[in-house]
Amino acid sequence: MPRAFFLSIIIFALLLAGLTALRGELLALAIPLLLFLFYGLAFGPDKVQLDVHRRLSAERVSPQTPVLVTVSVTNRGDSLESLALEDVLSPALSIENGSNHHLISLGKNKTFTFEYTLRGPRGGYALDTVRAEASDHLGLLHNSQSIHTFGQLFIFPPVTRLKQIPIRPRRTRVYAGTIPARVGGSGVEFFDVRNYQPGDSPRSINWHVSARHEELYSNEFQQERVADVGIILDGRQRSNIYASGHSLFEHSVIAAAALADSFLAQGNRVGLLVYGQYLQWTWPGYGKLQREKILHSLSHAAPGSSQVFDGLQYLPTRMFPPESQIVLVSPLMEDDYLTLVQLRARGYQVMTVSPDPVAFEESFLPRRSDVQLAARVVRMERELMLKKIQRAGVQLIEWNVAQPFDQATQRAFGQRIQGSRL
Amino acid sequence: MTLFALIFSIVVGTGSLAWGYAQVGLPQFARWIALFGALWLVTVWQRWRWFAYVGLLFNFLAAALGLWLLNFSPGWMFAGAIGGLMAWDLTDFSYRLRFAAEKERRGFETRHLARISILAIFGFGLASLAMLIKFQFNFDWALLLAIVAAFGIIQLVAWLRKRN
Repeated sequence: MPRAFFLSIIIFALLLAGLTALRGELLALAIPLLLFLFYGLAFGPDKVQLDVHRRLSAERVSPQTPVLVTVSVTNRGDSLESLALEDVLSPALSIENGSNHHLISLGKNKTFTFEYTLRGPRGGYALDTVRAEASDHLGLLHNSQSIHTFGQLFIFPPVTRLKQIPIRPRRTRVYAGTIPARVGGSGVEFFDVRNYQPGDSPRSINWHVSARHEELYSNEFQQERVADVGIILDGRQRSNIYASGHSLFEHSVIAAAALADSFLAQGNRVGLLVYGQYLQWTWPGYGKLQREKILHSLSHAAPGSSQVFDGLQYLPTRMFPPESQIVLVSPLMEDDYLTLVQLRARGYQVMTVSPDPVAFEESFLPRRSDVQLAARVVRMERELMLKKIQRAGVQLIEWNVAQPFDQATQRAFGQRIQGSRL
Repeated sequence: MTLFALIFSIVVGTGSLAWGYAQVGLPQFARWIALFGALWLVTVWQRWRWFAYVGLLFNFLAAALGLWLLNFSPGWMFAGAIGGLMAWDLTDFSYRLRFAAEKERRGFETRHLARISILAIFGFGLASLAMLIKFQFNFDWALLLAIVAAFGIIQLVAWLRKRN
């Protein structure tokens, strides 16, 4: 309740009681209140005219990195006796040093500058409002104003550097890259032997084959090109929230960021789809700019629930070029199997990075025998599902989130390389 | 400094009322008022700002009852009411002051305390003066006061609306 209004009610009640009872004492009792109120009204704040500028020491940071915010406020109007300033922040951000609230007296054309340090979790935050509240000497009347300034802070997920991730989509793009293109030409890996053609380098002549057939044959190498990679980040609430509110989603975001960075570093065209409460699509692109776009998108990504996108069956596959590489980052649910098989049937090369929800949830539960038994049963069910998925030709990286993601990828691809050698 | 003034206001406010009630032979009431004062002090310690509104209402209600129904000495009642008013104001002021920079805090406190002290003294003086200047308070005066009060309130509302 405004303080002036509260005082007015008491004054009115005293006047009414005094007039009703014809008692001058009650009217006299209202005099100090009236004096107080009129003093406040007489020195009430005029229009607030402020110029506000905000500077951030960095606009793109990693989670929990301190950012210094400097705000300068200049009074372009009349002198303000009592001015409360608040740099409005998202509740997710926390202040480490200093304060975003200040109470000052600000003379005409005077400038007040304050600094504070904040930090926060992954996200995109708009720092675009400074709330100013001028009041009279007694704080009875307030004149509030929200001043809009430019300011934004992006807290990106940490990007883990990964070694090259081997992918082999059926179709590649025309530009040279690092993905084996299943087409003969210049490259490193042996691909085929063909008749010698004028212009072939003498080094490419396969002398063994030529000796057997009495004509010259040349070795052909597999062309290496860039590919289209679509990363799908599963943001469904039901597949991400475990153990009384703990979320696997942050880990999925870290994995998606690392994968996007790695694929883009290899020169591929990468797009990102966050599949959760709604579809958040980052159009495919190349290079550092695309990396920025994907990191921006990931900084805003949040798990959500939707009746429409409850299952993966509404995955908009038309957004991905035919026969390209799809990377699904998801803890996986039982009913996702069918969608993955359908993707394979449509010619997509599918890789699934699956943060392990069983180990994750188990880490938050008491180590009782019944919990361990339940975990064992659930783990067996999950292993069965993963085996089925692998049998359908889906490349799988299972990730226990207690370990760094790069170790999980190294282990997964290391095993595969070992297996192929055997 | 503000905290000291706040505690002083509560003690003076509720103390004056309690003393006024005790003077006319109502020690039970005086004890309850003193207890309320103690409770108010506890709420200051607990930072329950909303209680200042209750305190202001209570002080003015107790003062008005004393003046209206029990014909007490007005001095103690005015002092009680003004003490409550100051305590109510200082509670809000101390809350606003928490955002003031350390170097500006003392200036804010000094100016504010000076202002409300002057207002309190001036208010007490005017109220006492009004009690001294006795005149026949008949229906004509009441009607005039009612018209003036209504006009004042209309002016106040219009002014506030214009400002906003």
